[in-house]
Amino acid sequence: MLARDAENLFWAGRYLERAEDTARLLDVTYHGLLEANVAEQRAAWLSALEAVGLSEAFAATDRQVTAANVSEFLVRDSENPGSIVSAVEAARENVRTVRESLSTECWEAINSFCLSMRSRNLEIEIEQQPHELYGFIRRQCQTVAGVASETLARDDGWRFLRLGWNLERAEWTCRLLRVRQVHLEAPGFHEWVGTLRSASALEAYRRTSRGSMDPADVIEFLLLSDSFPRSVFFAIRSAETSLRELCAGDEPSQPLRLVGRLRAELEFADPRELLSGDFEGELIGIERAIRGVCTAVGVQYFINIHDVDLHMLQLFPGAGVE
Amino acid sequence: MRLDIRYRTTFIYDDIVSESQNELRACPIADEYQELIRYRVTVSPATKVASYIDYWGTRVDTFGHRSPHVGLEVLAEATVETKPRPQPTGASRPEALADPQFLDTHAEFLERTPHCDWGQRVTDLAAEQVRLAGPDVVSRILALHRLVGTSVEYRKGITEVGEPVDEVLAHGYGVCQDFAHLAVSFCRSQAIPARYVSGYLFTRDETVLDDAELNDDEPVRVQTHAWFEAALPGWGWFALDPTNQQAVGQRHVKIGHGRDYDDVQPLRGVFSGAAGAMVTPDVEIRRLAMAETAPPALPGRLLQQHQQQQ
Amino acid sequence: MASDLFSEYDTEGFFDEVFEATGAPRPHYAGLLKRLSYFSAEELARRERRRDAAFRNQGITFTVYGEDEGIERTFPMDLMPRVITAAEWAHIEAGLEQRVTVLNQFLDDLYVGERAAIRDGVIPWWVVTSSDGFSREAFGIPMPRGARCLVAGIDLVRDGEGTYRVLEDNLRSPSGISYVVENRVAMTRLLPQMFTDTPVRPVDHYGRSLLGALNRVAPAAGGDDPTVVVLTPGVFNSAYFEHVFLAAHMGVELVEGRDLVVDDQVVYMRTTKGLKRVDVIYRRIDDAFLDPVVFRADSSLGVPGLMSAARVGSVTIVNAVGNGVADDKAVYAYVPELIRYYSGEEPILPNVETYLLWDPDQRAAVLDRLDQLVIKPVAEAGGYGITIGPAASEQDLEKCRRDILSDPRNWIAQEVVSLSRHPTLIGDHAEGRHVDLRPFVLTSDVVEVIPGGLTRVAMKKGSLVVNSSQGGGSKDTWVLARTRDELEADVVASSVNVESGSTEVSA
Repeated sequence: MLARDAENLFWAGRYLERAEDTARLLDVTYHGLLEANVAEQRAAWLSALEAVGLSEAFAATDRQVTAANVSEFLVRDSENPGSIVSAVEAARENVRTVRESLSTECWEAINSFCLSMRSRNLEIEIEQQPHELYGFIRRQCQTVAGVASETLARDDGWRFLRLGWNLERAEWTCRLLRVRQVHLEAPGFHEWVGTLRSASALEAYRRTSRGSMDPADVIEFLLLSDSFPRSVFFAIRSAETSLRELCAGDEPSQPLRLVGRLRAELEFADPRELLSGDFEGELIGIERAIRGVCTAVGVQYFINIHDVDLHMLQLFPGAGVE
Repeated sequence: MRLDIRYRTTFIYDDIVSESQNELRACPIADEYQELIRYRVTVSPATKVASYIDYWGTRVDTFGHRSPHVGLEVLAEATVETKPRPQPTGASRPEALADPQFLDTHAEFLERTPHCDWGQRVTDLAAEQVRLAGPDVVSRILALHRLVGTSVEYRKGITEVGEPVDEVLAHGYGVCQDFAHLAVSFCRSQAIPARYVSGYLFTRDETVLDDAELNDDEPVRVQTHAWFEAALPGWGWFALDPTNQQAVGQRHVKIGHGRDYDDVQPLRGVFSGAAGAMVTPDVEIRRLAMAETAPPALPGRLLQQHQQQQ
Repeated sequence: MASDLFSEYDTEGFFDEVFEATGAPRPHYAGLLKRLSYFSAEELARRERRRDAAFRNQGITFTVYGEDEGIERTFPMDLMPRVITAAEWAHIEAGLEQRVTVLNQFLDDLYVGERAAIRDGVIPWWVVTSSDGFSREAFGIPMPRGARCLVAGIDLVRDGEGTYRVLEDNLRSPSGISYVVENRVAMTRLLPQMFTDTPVRPVDHYGRSLLGALNRVAPAAGGDDPTVVVLTPGVFNSAYFEHVFLAAHMGVELVEGRDLVVDDQVVYMRTTKGLKRVDVIYRRIDDAFLDPVVFRADSSLGVPGLMSAARVGSVTIVNAVGNGVADDKAVYAYVPELIRYYSGEEPILPNVETYLLWDPDQRAAVLDRLDQLVIKPVAEAGGYGITIGPAASEQDLEKCRRDILSDPRNWIAQEVVSLSRHPTLIGDHAEGRHVDLRPFVLTSDVVEVIPGGLTRVAMKKGSLVVNSSQGGGSKDTWVLARTRDELEADVVASSVNVESGSTEVSA
């Protein structure tokens, strides 16, 4: 397929995942704090900003760390490229340029999602019915994923869409774990419940752990579960599948090699060993490895389509360079 | 006069260039005043060159490079035999310029173009000269040609490339293409069809064509040159070189003509990937001993006559 | 029993597509009117809302420039379709085939031929050379099968007598076919009942027909299965939806200039698996932006080296470069003569009476009655720059007069055609609105006219401007299939001809 189309689909996947993750994080953070004091609130919102990787961007706006300001920033600030509104618009723009290689249903799902975001009064909703708003965004993202899954041919386009989706998810879950682990010095029961909720993992976790809220179990679940689709391992393994299919029997590409190594590392990791050592360092290493895969994907498949910067030659008789 | 021409342009890019595409117009035209004996284009690094004759009758060599490269050299070699040009004979009345048939076939040489987009001052100056020259079209063309010479002084490095004719006229400096564009504009403003000519001139200094000062045994290193041709009803195209105020003769080697510079730009192209390029154009012309030619008919009789009228 | 929709309807003396001057409905609308009468105004309004939501969600939009930085708008489709009889259509089809064939011949004659029409004085050379659309850069570039306008959109209007006339030729990148197909899809969903009793010829085969035509002009190197792409300026172009539509309906890649690259006069596209050769480019980019080596140096939309590839015949650019000369509105005035010259036939579809303003006599006559004429710039498309005399203010007319005097070659004047009107739903009732018709014509080794075309509606009361960019709407356009009676009549007629023919041979 066209390299540019592949890149657009890859990014559409990333943006949609980003929108969904951010909505879930906001929902959990907001509702987890209803009974908390001001200091706790501030810490929790800071940690949310860090989990989406936008602490510095927020600091640059010179706004106070309050629920309203952070929500505003993460939902509807179109100046913030990481906001939900920006992500949804960007996903639509990416998909718009590859519409001919998508199903009409899939395009319609994304387009109507974007149009309804434009028509909602987000300012009021953030304040008055945040749960409904975040639920709506989550459902819309899931609808798009479902429609895509049900209507798209399993071709290279599908693979790039899934690849972006999964790499974004792996990185996001990893960062969420790291932030939660570090920020809340000794996270208690409620914090871990919140973390699991942020990853839509609470019910699934309960079924496997039967009531335990041992941090090691939670971390193991979110990082290494081979059955939960939002765990880092699961997402990396899905990304590996996409990249393997993209090679279609040819020699493994560089991104496939990288993602395969990362998958193996996670697959055979010992959770106790991870936790007893420099766990934060390990998580940082995984995040870096994921970004390395993204870069390799770009080099392998998308390179050469950017900045085809053209320069003119102008030679005039008699006035030329001497 | 038999001349050997080597046109060479070298590009040194600031960085690796991933792609370049170019069009070269350097081949002497074969017409009644010129015989093209040999022509060859070499590009290095080696690439396929595709050639065609464009709308104006000029040969174009196109070539592109898509593997990374840091430099490019184009070499066009030509041997050409130039023949004496007759000077216009007989009188031509201005009414002939308005003949529908003549207008129809020459319309595109009367229009304004990006490089020949003149203002009122050009029109006024030209109209005054035409009035003084009287009803003979040849005299009018010569008067306008002379007007370029008196309006603009040759000076390199002053004018920007592609400067509008109005500005060239305002500050009074220019190089050969400014002279040619101004001459074309003067003519068109007076309803005389005129076209821009790109070519080579066998002389050390393009402002001087005095044979006494020329030593034909040694090769000269120059750049491409430009002059103009005006349409004379019932006769044809009358070629004059305003830069040195002479009629075009055997030292002139024509590449091609067009409405203005853009139609006969010697080298046109784009490249991608790098920030800039150093471009070195270079033309070397030598006279081949085997060719015998009559003494140049320059300056022409009409030209002198006209100057005396002034 | 007529619906309330038409209780107040008045043709106001215009030629009405649906009603005779007497007020009686034309026979071919009878079925439709009956079906329509089953719907209440409220019900129709509900379906209009469904239509709007569907078009918006599907992103069937175009972009309007000039207001803010470009707004996506839907092209409103009126729920009442326009109906054309089989006999009427046969006449239109024959006229379009004749006209487009000749325009192709003229273009090939100009660019690669001996310029016979110039030599024989059918059209002055200077009219050609002074046209903005005349591309000297395209000179000598061959086009397989001479199909220089492979896709043509010819704007037709009906005058006060109901005669179809050609108003404009669009031979560069005519837009609108996507609306033709999408309008039909929308109609079958919104008002499926309306199709009962009315045999309508389908239009959704356009993608297949276009791809077939494009395949037939592929260079020999493309083999049996040439690679065709659609080249778009990008997502910000006003017709981007249509570019997506075309690529999707043909099942080919939609590329931008930066996706293509030229190597040794061969065009390739950049794919995730490296470079892939391209044989035919259906481009929706203007000539001036195609190749920065040859045209505008500042264009980043195009592909450097593309023209050189086209010249050696390794790729076919569709529509060919330089077609603008033949849809120049001054050249338009000569098309009837060109038809007589190249085909030896009388034009089947007449022009609108046109005056050329460089001619001093015609100019003087036009300036005398500027307020009764339509003045158009020769090279613009999309309805930009038009002055409609009877509707213009004193200042507009004065500006128009100055424009004409300063550059007469740039303008033409035409008689005001009292465009036919068609009932259109306005709120809870129908009102007459002016309409035109843009059929689409495909040329390769055969000429194919897609049944119907885009009917555009001037939604503003009394307005004659139907362009989408100027607030026009559209209608689904039905060409009726031949009825059994008509088919039988045809069979009888042709068998008679065969018999008489064979008689002559045997005699």
